[in-house]
Amino acid sequence: MTNVDIVIEICGSAGEGTISAGEILSRFMSSQGFEIMSFDSYPSEIRGFGKCVAHSRISNRKILSPGKYADILIALKDAHSISQLPSLRETGIVIYDNKPPNYLEEDKSIAGWIEPGMISYGVPLLELAQKAAGNSRGRNMVAIGALAALFQIDDEAMKASIRSRYAKKKQIVIDSNLNSFQEGFEWSKKNITKIDPYTFRNVRLKKSNKSRAIINGNQAVAQAALDSGLHLYAGYPITPATKIMEILSKELPKKGGIMIQTEDEIAAIGNVVGAGFAGKRAMTATSGPGFSLMTELANLAVMAEVPAVIINSQRGGPSTGVPTKTEQSDLNIALSGGSGDSPRIVIAPTTVEECYLGVSLALYLAEKYQTLVVVLLDFFLSNSIRNIPMPEPINKKWLKGNIAPTKTELKDYKRFKNTESGISPRAIPGTPGGMFVTTGLEHSEQGKPQYDRETHHQMTRKRFRKIQNAINEAPKPQWRGPKKDISVGVIAWGSTAGSAQEAVIKAQKEGIKAALMSSMLISPLPADSFRKFSKACQKILVPELNYSGQFANYLAPYLNRPIERLNMVTGLPMSAEDILDKIREMAN
Amino acid sequence: MEVLKYSYLDEKIDEVKEQGFLNYRTSELPTWCPGCGYFGITHAMVQACDALGLKNEEICVASGIGCAGRYPIFMKAYGFHTVHGRSIPIASGIKLARQDLTVFAVGGDGDILGIGGGHLPHIARKNIDITLFLFDNSIYGLTKGQTSPTTPLSQVTNSHSQGNPDTPLRPVFLALAHGASFVARCYAGDVEGMKNIFTQAISHKGFSFLHIVSPCVTFDKVNITWKRLRENFRAVPSVHDPSDYRAAIQMAEDPRPIFGLFYHDPSRQSYQENLRGKRSPENSKSSER
Repeated sequence: MTNVDIVIEICGSAGEGTISAGEILSRFMSSQGFEIMSFDSYPSEIRGFGKCVAHSRISNRKILSPGKYADILIALKDAHSISQLPSLRETGIVIYDNKPPNYLEEDKSIAGWIEPGMISYGVPLLELAQKAAGNSRGRNMVAIGALAALFQIDDEAMKASIRSRYAKKKQIVIDSNLNSFQEGFEWSKKNITKIDPYTFRNVRLKKSNKSRAIINGNQAVAQAALDSGLHLYAGYPITPATKIMEILSKELPKKGGIMIQTEDEIAAIGNVVGAGFAGKRAMTATSGPGFSLMTELANLAVMAEVPAVIINSQRGGPSTGVPTKTEQSDLNIALSGGSGDSPRIVIAPTTVEECYLGVSLALYLAEKYQTLVVVLLDFFLSNSIRNIPMPEPINKKWLKGNIAPTKTELKDYKRFKNTESGISPRAIPGTPGGMFVTTGLEHSEQGKPQYDRETHHQMTRKRFRKIQNAINEAPKPQWRGPKKDISVGVIAWGSTAGSAQEAVIKAQKEGIKAALMSSMLISPLPADSFRKFSKACQKILVPELNYSGQFANYLAPYLNRPIERLNMVTGLPMSAEDILDKIREMAN
Repeated sequence: MEVLKYSYLDEKIDEVKEQGFLNYRTSELPTWCPGCGYFGITHAMVQACDALGLKNEEICVASGIGCAGRYPIFMKAYGFHTVHGRSIPIASGIKLARQDLTVFAVGGDGDILGIGGGHLPHIARKNIDITLFLFDNSIYGLTKGQTSPTTPLSQVTNSHSQGNPDTPLRPVFLALAHGASFVARCYAGDVEGMKNIFTQAISHKGFSFLHIVSPCVTFDKVNITWKRLRENFRAVPSVHDPSDYRAAIQMAEDPRPIFGLFYHDPSRQSYQENLRGKRSPENSKSSER
């Protein structure tokens, strides 16, 4: 029995079937019992020959990060694949078209660019595709066939996967794909002499893995919303959050809910705040530019104490920025975007599983604490495909959050009663005797505009105080690794936490006393846990995908000590290797 | 049409304070200037709610910012005084969440046609069942007399000392063009007329657009004054058929305002009916356009 931990990248042009080949591969591997983490990168344009890369890490053990270097590169388009070579391992394998169309100049063929030490397997992709189906479209399946032959993948099982992927298509499409696969498989078996050590045969696999859900972050968000009593989703299309809207438009009406596509993000958050006021669960999902537009009404939710949930799947910014690349640079705006002192709850899931948990928690906390809750995903997390155990059922307690006024309280009803916890019982429209007016102006306990200094001071304190208890309701921060004498303590947030965990495990194997702390709840910050962790560490490292170190800056006053930073804005997820290098440097 | 009659609250402040409130009014006294047309609008709204027998707790009023924006504070209902320009999306959200509630959106000319102007075409075409009360005094009153989207051309304001260079918008024409299923113009000095139209608008299943022309007694002493409105008041001809879209458009093009019900398409499906898939374009006049 062997262990497998392989990264395969398929690189081609937009519209060439690059992403679908990756999807077939991931689904097949998952069905065999492997653990997978897949992540596609593609240009903003739908066609136009932009570069697409389908990246899949396949392992029979737990996967924490997407992996920095590929072991196998399948080159569907030579020009793009040449630029992908730097992310191939020094001893990696390239599967390429050794009989490319004759208009391709020789120096444009990837064959001339493969470094010594790498292994290359030439397969006549185009020729075989034409032979199989009479056109060039099946090159991706020829390549998958070659892959199956070279690495001892069960070809019959794989064909079943292809069949199911195209099940809804015409028979001719299914046949062309299967024939192309077969051509690639047979040709490679006959003509290629294998000289690499990789194989998928005789791997110890867990049977239970086979029944796992294949799901990305956006799907997990939508599923959580459906399972947590969402009534209204209002949204405006924006990469990388659009998929959430598309799923909910199909699924929400089945549960009696409504998906409304609005004229802009302002109307979307307006609808959400309106529905929240009316006593129903509502949310919207967007990315940085849309979130920027939403800040004024998000502030209103804070001031008027109305539940509202915004999912922000971060992409490269500022402005329109880098729409199809990942970044963690909307933390500042999530924490304090808008005018004035406006406390809100911020949740940043670190994994696809936590996307499910986090959104369910967000809908509950928004309702209970009568305020804005921002859930920060990022392009990587939204699109990162995992095969995970089916999510745990929603905590029943989380399905009902509102605290309604009692009959006695309604007699002299003060909607914004300054209670000890800061939470004031909230009457839902339709409740006799509960009528009140809520306003974005500073207001008295009755909700009437009132601007004297005592009111503004006390009400600001109330709004800050009331969210503090969320710390006790959210999952506790995760402390992984030794509990004392830590030489390098890594504090990571959002999707970077997975890579950080992998880096910490590798550092420990190298004898470095490293540990990790991460928390899904960012605001209010579970500061005690972070301080305790900090006290046990000689040095603290905060790796994050933004230039200015937004999380490190946010932590600094809580920890009151020097913080090492690792900041990258390459548009790619941070790799475990990058963090490990920094840990080694700090440990010396 | 005696103007003073409708600002009676100002004259009888103490008396009203003693009474507490009247049906749909809170004990809060409006912060509007004495003689403001908004008192009359408020009075008509109260009468319309009364005529329809609406339960206070089943009314939701969402407003924007400005003199009109203060409206929910004076009404005994569930009120949401929101931010500038956003009463339409907030009111829509309330209605989408709760079909059982009667939902009003209230805003001024700056609110609905300026900062929030982008929402008007979409609420009209979506036909969400809310009633929009556009309190149009053709000026930014709460910020003290700047040009608004309906300020007449060349009018001198605090932001245009040389006269307004912008051609004013025509709210009724816009609402018709965007496909609103109920469009009317009201005169703030005619409480009985407003009450009748408000009652119909609230009963209409779909989006109702109410353009209510009111003078700003403080910041416009020249153009849109009680005197001029009274003198130029013209009612929609009694022969006008409110289901006649083209006739409504023609009236809306008239530069001198006409007051009354312009257009009403009761057959048009509301947004939620459309969501449920009950589309029947053959029944809808607006879909012919």
